[in-house]
Amino acid sequence: MIELENVVVTFDGQRVLDGVNFAMKSGEFVYLVGQTGAGKSSLLRLMYFDLKPASGRVQVAEHDTFGVRKREIPYLRRKIGVVFQDFKLLEDRTVYENVAFALYVTNTKRSEIKKKVLHALADVGLSHKRNQMPHELSGGEQQRVVMARALINEPSILLADEPTGNLDPTSSAEIMELLTKINMRGTAVLMATHNYDLVRLYPARIVQLKEGKLMEVELKRKK
Amino acid sequence: MQIRYVFQEGFSGFQRAKLSMFAAILTICISLLLLSFFSILLINANQVVESLREKVEMEAFLSDSLPKEDAQNVKERVAALEGVREVRFISKEEAAEIFKAEFGEDIYKVLDFNPLPASLKIYLKDGYKTAKAAASIHSAVKSVPGVDDVIYRKTLLEMLDQRAMTLLWFSLGVGVFITISSIFLVANTIRLAIYAKRKIIQTMKLIGATRGFIRTPFLLEGLVQGLVGGVIAAGIVFLVFNYLERWVSVQLSDFVRVQSFYYGVIVGIGSILGLLGSMISIRRFIGESVAS
Repeated sequence: MIELENVVVTFDGQRVLDGVNFAMKSGEFVYLVGQTGAGKSSLLRLMYFDLKPASGRVQVAEHDTFGVRKREIPYLRRKIGVVFQDFKLLEDRTVYENVAFALYVTNTKRSEIKKKVLHALADVGLSHKRNQMPHELSGGEQQRVVMARALINEPSILLADEPTGNLDPTSSAEIMELLTKINMRGTAVLMATHNYDLVRLYPARIVQLKEGKLMEVELKRKK
Repeated sequence: MQIRYVFQEGFSGFQRAKLSMFAAILTICISLLLLSFFSILLINANQVVESLREKVEMEAFLSDSLPKEDAQNVKERVAALEGVREVRFISKEEAAEIFKAEFGEDIYKVLDFNPLPASLKIYLKDGYKTAKAAASIHSAVKSVPGVDDVIYRKTLLEMLDQRAMTLLWFSLGVGVFITISSIFLVANTIRLAIYAKRKIIQTMKLIGATRGFIRTPFLLEGLVQGLVGGVIAAGIVFLVFNYLERWVSVQLSDFVRVQSFYYGVIVGIGSILGLLGSMISIRRFIGESVAS
């Protein structure tokens, strides 16, 4: 599903990722941990083709960094759901419109849009708030809207960059429940986080970024 | 892409971003007004110059010793010269009558003989009413045997030529300046408006919108802004040249004429300005990273 081979990323001459190898199967749930600035976001950006590696190969689904043409990128992104810490909701439109937007982009029929959006909102438990504006929602609710939007095109991969970074423990738990549910339905989830408590509560495979290298880690049990 | 979506998004600025929309329309409108008034004045100034030029004619005085029969000969030779459109013969008697019409006195009563020579009135072809061409016609006419002297408004022509050149360079300079600053101004205003929508553009890219999908509503918006700005500017120009003179009691229409197709041109240029402005501005933002 996702494969990285000897990937190097440099910013201003500094190697943020220094020969990263990584593979992820479809339907897998993987945590990406590491300190702030370790390059977690850069690694995710590689995967939604917002960043090109200086060297190495990135393969997402059937697309390769080198083979992919600029105009193919939008179509590739439709197969990937991305969730951010800062939500990236459109502040000037309602919850419903925010989710529906992902369908306008993919040319979905009007009649189908309504059905799909209401379905997705029900999935994340926000049907009743469909006419609210994003700023009227709590952080956890906003993140759920983002997830509804990310999932509405039924992506095979969900990339989540610190999705609980701005949330209180209760909301974080809700988001984790949602992510688990999504994963159970067959969507691969790669979640960057430095919230080790969550990782302990919802155990899965863990990879850690440290000094530009990626390694598999086992979480020590809390005593 | 759904047409309905493009129109909804393209016109959404009128609801969602009233201020920046207003700023863009105002900028386009002011730029157009500057351009319009400038070019209307220029066109009219040019027409004044041309109408003065129209009046330029030459007069060749024939030698008094020239027999009347030869005068016809001289006229034909002058008429055959390059740049001469028409030659009219004015006999001594006609000259006396013109004198009487001009001064109200009979020359014979003043002087008891007619000192006015017979002459040829020479009308020049269009394109030969410049100082240079007139000077060469002048010397050609003068060298025709039987012609005593040739006069024309040399200094007026020289002045017109000079002024026309100055006017041309000046207007070219000012015109280029106004046009370039208009484009920059409009592009900048629209860029500010689009800057406010960066987040939307990023989000669109993130969820897989194609370039065209992102761009089209913005281009439509720019076009509409330009169109509205153009219509307002055309309206103001129309009001100024059709109604202002009633209030300020100056007959503007005496020296400034605005042809009706000109209003269409203003609206057209406005639309192009809006479209270009948004084209230039959107390019930068589409290229940006999604995560920034």
